Amino acid sequence: MPEIILKNVAKRFGKFVAVENLNLNIESNAFITLLGPSGCGKTTTLRMIAGLETPTEGRITIDGKVVFDADEGINLPPNKRDVGFLFQNYALWPHMTVYQNIAFGLENLKWDKNRIRTRVNELLKMLKIEQFEKRYPSELSGGQQQRVAIARTLAPGPKVLFMDEPLSNLDAKLRMEMRTELKRLHRDTDSTFVYVTHDQLEAMTLSTRVCIMETGVLQQYAPPLEMYNNPANLFVADFMGNPTMNFIDGHIKADGSIEFGGIKAKFAPTSGSQPGDMDVVVGIRPEYIHIDEEGAMQGTVYSTLPSGMETTVKLDVNGTTLTAVVFGDVDYDVDSQVSFSFHKAAVIFEKATGKNVAKGKLIV
Amino acid sequence: MEQTQTGKIHLSRLKGRARAWFSKPANIILLFFLVTLTVLTLYPLLSMLTETFTVHLGREERATKLSIGAFTTYHFQRVFATSANDYSWIQFYKPLLNTLAVSVTSSVFAILFGGVVAFLVTRTNLKYKKFVSAVFTFPYIMPSWTLALFWETFFKNVNIGLKTSNGIMASVFGVFMPEWFVYGFFPISLVLGLHYAPFAYILIGGILRNMDANLEEAATILKTNRSRIIWKITLPIVKPAMLSTFLLVFASSMSAYSVPVFLGSPVRYYVLSTSMKSLMNSYKGQAYIIVAVMILFGVAILMLSQKVTNSRKQFTTVTGKSGQISKINLGKANVPIAIILVIVLLLVAIVPLVTFALESVIIKAGDYSLSNMTLDFWIGTGLEKRLDQGDSTGILLNPVVWRALGTSLALAITCAVIAGTSGILVGYGVAKRRGSRLSNWVNSLSFFPYLMPSLAFGAIYLAMASKISWLHGFLLMALAGSVKYLPFASRSGVNAMLQLSGEIEEAALITGVPWWKRMLRVIFPIQKSSFLSGYLLPMVSCMRELSLFVLLVPTSDTILTTMLMQYSEKGWAQFGNAINLLIIIVVLLVNFTVNKLTGASIDKGVGG
Repeated sequence: MPEIILKNVAKRFGKFVAVENLNLNIESNAFITLLGPSGCGKTTTLRMIAGLETPTEGRITIDGKVVFDADEGINLPPNKRDVGFLFQNYALWPHMTVYQNIAFGLENLKWDKNRIRTRVNELLKMLKIEQFEKRYPSELSGGQQQRVAIARTLAPGPKVLFMDEPLSNLDAKLRMEMRTELKRLHRDTDSTFVYVTHDQLEAMTLSTRVCIMETGVLQQYAPPLEMYNNPANLFVADFMGNPTMNFIDGHIKADGSIEFGGIKAKFAPTSGSQPGDMDVVVGIRPEYIHIDEEGAMQGTVYSTLPSGMETTVKLDVNGTTLTAVVFGDVDYDVDSQVSFSFHKAAVIFEKATGKNVAKGKLIV
Repeated sequence: MEQTQTGKIHLSRLKGRARAWFSKPANIILLFFLVTLTVLTLYPLLSMLTETFTVHLGREERATKLSIGAFTTYHFQRVFATSANDYSWIQFYKPLLNTLAVSVTSSVFAILFGGVVAFLVTRTNLKYKKFVSAVFTFPYIMPSWTLALFWETFFKNVNIGLKTSNGIMASVFGVFMPEWFVYGFFPISLVLGLHYAPFAYILIGGILRNMDANLEEAATILKTNRSRIIWKITLPIVKPAMLSTFLLVFASSMSAYSVPVFLGSPVRYYVLSTSMKSLMNSYKGQAYIIVAVMILFGVAILMLSQKVTNSRKQFTTVTGKSGQISKINLGKANVPIAIILVIVLLLVAIVPLVTFALESVIIKAGDYSLSNMTLDFWIGTGLEKRLDQGDSTGILLNPVVWRALGTSLALAITCAVIAGTSGILVGYGVAKRRGSRLSNWVNSLSFFPYLMPSLAFGAIYLAMASKISWLHGFLLMALAGSVKYLPFASRSGVNAMLQLSGEIEEAALITGVPWWKRMLRVIFPIQKSSFLSGYLLPMVSCMRELSLFVLLVPTSDTILTTMLMQYSEKGWAQFGNAINLLIIIVVLLVNFTVNKLTGASIDKGVGG
C-alpha cells in the first residue's frame, strides 16, 4: 500500500558525496531495485529511507507521512517508520535460537505469548524451517540462516520491506531458488519491496522498476525492460544485459547516413528525432545481430561460447569486435566467414555526453 | 612364515607412517615443545609439590625434629589445620578470604570501568575519544606498583600505616585520609582494578568494534528501544568476552604481589601472595602449599573460561557493513562525561608520573617549596657530604644504575626473543594440527605458566636451579622470564595462525618453498603485527617485572626493578622515585617506539 517519495535527498560524508540530489517516487506495491556498482550509493540510499542513516539534505515521505525533512528538522527513528530490513549478512542474533530471533520483534510490540507462538509457527512453516526452531544461528547453513532472517523480518508484517543484497552470500543454485521465492513473497505479502543489488540479472528478473545509480547520481528510473531496450545513457546500457551491448564509435550526418566500424548505413529513428551531424556511439544488443546467409555484412568468427540454449559468438568485422547471440544449439567454426544483419533497434548515443539521442532502425 | 611376512609389512608401514609424521614441521615443533615445556613447567611444578612434603633447612627442621629432606605432612597440618594462636587462620584462611575479596572486587571494577569506557568509545559520539583511548592503556603499560606507590605517597600521613611521613595530601592540602582509604582492601582492589581496566577495555572494546552493527540495527528496525537493545542484544553478545576478561583479571589479581605489598603489608593486611612471600624465608614447605592452592585456583579459572567460550551460542565473526554503524548520540551529557573521563585518566595516568618526578627532586620529605628542591638525585655529585642517603652521585651519573638498566634491557630483549619466537612456533604447530591431542596438550602447556604467580614461579625456578650448577644469574633469569611470558606470545601466535587460512602456506608448499622460507617470507609478513605484539608484550612485562626476579637476582642492583625495591626498603625515597620514573619512561619509550615502527601494540595480546 504505502508509497515512498524521496525529494532532493543528498548524503555527504565530509567532502565525499555518497548520494546527490536524488528524486525517487516508489509507488505502492512496487518491487524496486536500487542497482549499481559497489560504492554508487545504493546501500546508503536504502539505509536513509529506513532511517539507519541520516541524509544531509532532502525530504523522505513514507505512506504520506514525512519521516525525514532536513529543513523542518524532522527525523523519525527507524523503529517509528514501520519498515522491515533484511541485511546482507542476515544479522541473526547469535545468542538466540531461531524461535527467539523471530519472536523478538513481536515481543517488542507487546503481543501476547499465544499470538506470538501462532505467528512464529506460521512463518516457520511458510519458510520451511520448522525443524530448526530450537537451533542457534551458528548451527545453520547459509541458506537456512537466510530463511530465518526473512522470517524475522516478515514477522511483524511490515508494509515496506528493505533488502540489502540479501542473496549475495548464497551459492548460485540457492540464489536462483530464493529469487523465485522472493518474487512470490512480494505477491503474497502485498507490501512494497526496496531491494539493493549490484547484480543486473537480479534487478531485471525481480523488480517492477529499476533505479540505476552511479557515483551517487541517479542514471535512470524505469521498468527493467524499458531500461533494457531504451537505456538513458551509455552507463545504463552497459550495465544492463549480459552479454553486454555492442558499442561502436561512429559518425552520423543530419540526413541520417551513419558510418561505424567500417559499416555504412542509414538510420531511421523510431523514437526521438533524427540527430544532427555529430560523433556518436552506436549501441546494438547482441541478440539483434542475426547470423544468416542473407545478411548484407560479412565477418570472421573469432570465438564461440555455446551453452546449449544459446551461443554467444564474437565476430571480427573490419577490426571491430561484435558480440552476437544466436538462440538454439548451434555452433560455428572459428575463423570461418559468416554473414550477418541488424534487426530490431539500435540506440544512438551522443559521444560527447553519452546520452541516448535516438532509437531506431539501421538500414544497410 | 606368513606371520613374519605380515609382521614385516606391518613394520614397514609403521616406518612409513612415522616418516610421514616427522616430515611435517608442525609435528616436530609440537613434539619439541611438548618435551621442553614439560621439563620447564611440569617438572618444576612436580618438584615443588614434593617440596610440600619435605623438611627444609632451618626452622622446619627444629619444628618437626626430622632431618632435612625427610617426608612430612607437617606443612599441610600447619597451613590448613592449626588452631593454636589462630595460626592457619592468620597465615592461610584470612589471606585466602582477602585474596578472594580483592580479586572479585577488582575484577568487577575493571570490567565495569573498562567495559563502560569501551562502550563509550566504540558505540557513542563521545568527545576526546582519541585522547581517551590513547591514555587509557597507560596504567596497563606501567608497572603495577606504579599506582600503588603513587597512592601511598599521595595519601599517606603520620597517623596511619608505618606513621613515617606525610604525603602530598596531608602536607600540601592538610587533609589526613583515614587508614581504610590509604591501606588495605579498598586501595588494593581499586589500584588492581585500575591496572587491569585497560585489559577489559582492550578485550571488550575489540568485541564491540568487531561486532556486526547490523545486529543492533536489526533490533532497532524491529522497534526495540535503546535499553532493551543494550540488555538483550549487545550485552549477551559481549558476555563471553566479559566473562573471560573477568576470569583473567581475577587470576591476575590473585597472583599480584607488589600492590598488596605496598598497600597491605604496612597495616598487616595480607593476601595469599604476600603471606606466601613471608613464609618463604623460614617455612618453605608451607609457602609452596599456598603456591599450590593459588595454582589450583588458576587451573579452575582456566577451565571455567574455556567452558564459557566454547558454547553453542558462539559469537560469529561474519562482519557486515559495520563501518556504517550509527553511533549513539550522547547529546548534552557528552561534554560532562568526556571531561570526567579525561580528569580520571589524568589522575590515573599522568599525575603519578608528575608525583614521582616531584618526589625525586625534594630534599626533605613533605616540603614541596621550590627552595627544598634539587636535581642532585638525578645528576648531582659528591652527595654523601650533603645528603644522608645512599649513593654519592645522582642516578644518571651512577654507573651501577646504567649497568642495571643495560642488564634489564638485555634481559627483556632476550626473554622477548625466546618467548616471542617460541610463541610463533607454538602458534604454527597448534594451528596446523588443531584439534589433535598433541596440539591441545602443547596449547595448554604453553598457557600454564600464566597461572603460576610470578613470585612462586621464581621460587620454583630457584629451587630447580640449585640442583644445576651452571644455571644461575642472567641465564636463570632469562630462562624463567622466557617461560613465564610464553603465554602472551603463544596466545597471540595461536590467534594469528588460526586467522590464516592453510591455503596460503600450501600455495607456497606446492611450488617447493622450504619450510623456514615459508615462515619467514609468507607467514610472518602477513601476520607481522600480531607476531610482533607477541614479542612486545614479553619485553614490556619483563622490563617492569619485579616479583619474578626478586628471588633470582644475584645481587639486588643487577636489574632496575630490584634496585628500586632495594632503595625503597632502605628508605631512599628520592633515589627510589627517580629510578621508578626511569623504569616507567623506558617502558613507555620501548612500547611507543615499537608501536610506531612496526604497528604492533600491547592491545593485541592477552594481559597479565
